[in-house]
Amino acid sequence: MSAAPAAPTRPRTLVVASAFGTGSVLLYFGGLFALYFSIRADAMAWGTTWFPEGAIQLVPGGMNMATMALSAITMGWAVSAVLNDDRVHAYLALALTAVLGVAMVNQTAFYFADIGLPIDASEAATLLFVIVGSHLVMVAVGIIWLGLLLLRALGGQDTSRHRDLVSAAALYWYAVVAVYSVIWIGIYIAK
Amino acid sequence: MTTTDEIDSTVFEEAVTSTDPKVLAKVWGFGGMTSVLLGAIAGLLVGFERLDLTSADLLGSADEVFQFWSAHRVALVLLGVLPALMTLATTVVPRQCGANTLIFPRAAALACWTWLVGAVLTIVGFLADGGLGTPGAGGQRQATALTLIGLLLAIAGLLTATVCVVTTIISGRSTGTGLRDLPFTSWTTLVSATIWGGMLPVLAANIVLTYVDLRGRSAVRFGAEDAIWEQLSWMFTHPAVYVLALPVLGIALDVLSATTGTTQANRDVLLVATAAFGFLSFGAYAQPFFDTPGTPVMEEALYVVMAFAIVPVALVILGGVADTLRRGASNLGTRPPAETVCALLSVMLIVAGTAVGALRVIAPLDLLGTSVTGAQFTLVVGGAVLGVGAGFQHWGDDLVGGPGARPGMNLLGGLALAGGVVLIGATDLISGLLGLSDFTGVDLATAGYPGSGVDGLNIVSIVGSLALVGGLVIWQASGILHLTAAKKASSV
Repeated sequence: MSAAPAAPTRPRTLVVASAFGTGSVLLYFGGLFALYFSIRADAMAWGTTWFPEGAIQLVPGGMNMATMALSAITMGWAVSAVLNDDRVHAYLALALTAVLGVAMVNQTAFYFADIGLPIDASEAATLLFVIVGSHLVMVAVGIIWLGLLLLRALGGQDTSRHRDLVSAAALYWYAVVAVYSVIWIGIYIAK
Repeated sequence: MTTTDEIDSTVFEEAVTSTDPKVLAKVWGFGGMTSVLLGAIAGLLVGFERLDLTSADLLGSADEVFQFWSAHRVALVLLGVLPALMTLATTVVPRQCGANTLIFPRAAALACWTWLVGAVLTIVGFLADGGLGTPGAGGQRQATALTLIGLLLAIAGLLTATVCVVTTIISGRSTGTGLRDLPFTSWTTLVSATIWGGMLPVLAANIVLTYVDLRGRSAVRFGAEDAIWEQLSWMFTHPAVYVLALPVLGIALDVLSATTGTTQANRDVLLVATAAFGFLSFGAYAQPFFDTPGTPVMEEALYVVMAFAIVPVALVILGGVADTLRRGASNLGTRPPAETVCALLSVMLIVAGTAVGALRVIAPLDLLGTSVTGAQFTLVVGGAVLGVGAGFQHWGDDLVGGPGARPGMNLLGGLALAGGVVLIGATDLISGLLGLSDFTGVDLATAGYPGSGVDGLNIVSIVGSLALVGGLVIWQASGILHLTAAKKASSV
């Protein structure tokens, strides 16, 4: 006797919602980046100073990029651990990703307190604070999400059968890292 | 002993804590249509002010006129038509897809209330001398900040609801139903929601930047009161404004198909055409920040090509509508249903709006800053309001939860509304060709030194505005009567 054909499956709701929501967040940053690069190009064309000499340091941005890149790896580790029902590794990976996110927020807050560039110093400063500030909010949302995942994992709910929330969070977190990579290259390196 | 089940909750408590899409649809629907009415009243007041272009008579100053003029557009788009469309998107669309209900009902409830709070804050901000800046920088900065916060909340609510709707269509539709099999309302809602998900975040980015700069000691550029509207106005003009019309085209196709008892011919062509209409309405790039030296973004090839390309697409959809009517006209009888008339008129107004939009971008005519922009806005958004009304009438019993529709009132309101839109649109078009500015201010220099015929046209426009407001009042009354009758029927 042949087995009954498997019922067609629909895309997973949490992942679809996360993809659409994350896409909207990326469009938000896309709008800000477009404004930043457009206004910067105009300023450069007119020979205007964009940021004062020495205002933007490469090292803090680079350290943050390294932190974010590491967190992308640990997030992938968390997804893999949940897929394999490896709870111990899932705890470790989720906690480590969240800690790396907190470290990034801490580094950025310290740097901006130290930078000596008022938010209303120029169009460049206002755009810088809005873009980086928005990204910090994005990171903070990701950390809260990771905290909830960790609680679920402790309750034994993040398993290979119920992995959608982890996959959805991973999608969002990769977008967090992707946005920061544009900030790093476009603002910290290109200045 | 009293248990929690025995405690009677009030209507307010039930509404606030409910995740039932039908309850939330009433908030979206009545809230949205009330905002449309308020926006129309703001437009009427500005119309009265335009009767005398040389001074501020009804409103205090040019800045106050500007606040009402911008409130008219904001109320119609972000607080009016979009939420009203959300009524159908959260109730009718899931059923059309074969989903039991909306996915993420709690998130949908959160979205609804967040939007409502945002809408109230926005309206309060406008009334407290805030709004989206003023040309003379005479507004209250705190109230302007409140308006911006209100808009951010409204956008957050709309985006959250959009995520719920898109997820329901993609993941929640019944097994075996492909995207090509979706009814037109669901299909166009999916396409529109995708565009909303792309444009509303960009608008939010503009608003956040404006807010941060506004709250500083002195605005650097983005939060300067005379520059705020310029940064946000792209959402209320070509091509972004077309995204309001797209779900309405789907509603019209479904309503006409149902009331004429015919199936839609050339279905795939219409699916492609409606999708193309959606993608031609992406307008987040049309911001003055993206002007290249010597060429404003509104004179760039992309902007002009999109304005022309959407006309044949709209005509294809109109052809589909006309074909359905031709094949099913005999089923309509001598007195076609109100929703059929409203749906047909809405499509015609939208097509007329796309034609005016194409005319507006012809460079030698130099119409970009004239009231032709207002004409296009009125025709497209007016068509959208009419189409949403057609949807409410068609699915009214399902939305409200019982019988009691007032077809006569609906038809009367729809005809008044359509007549008003035509009068306002036509007079704005002619005035614009004569040189009247989009925002006329309270002196002839700002008004654009219009020709002598404009004064008479402004009187005709006032008549149109009165008809528009009258039509909306009739519809609101009809909706309330329907709701009351449905409640009585359910209690019996």
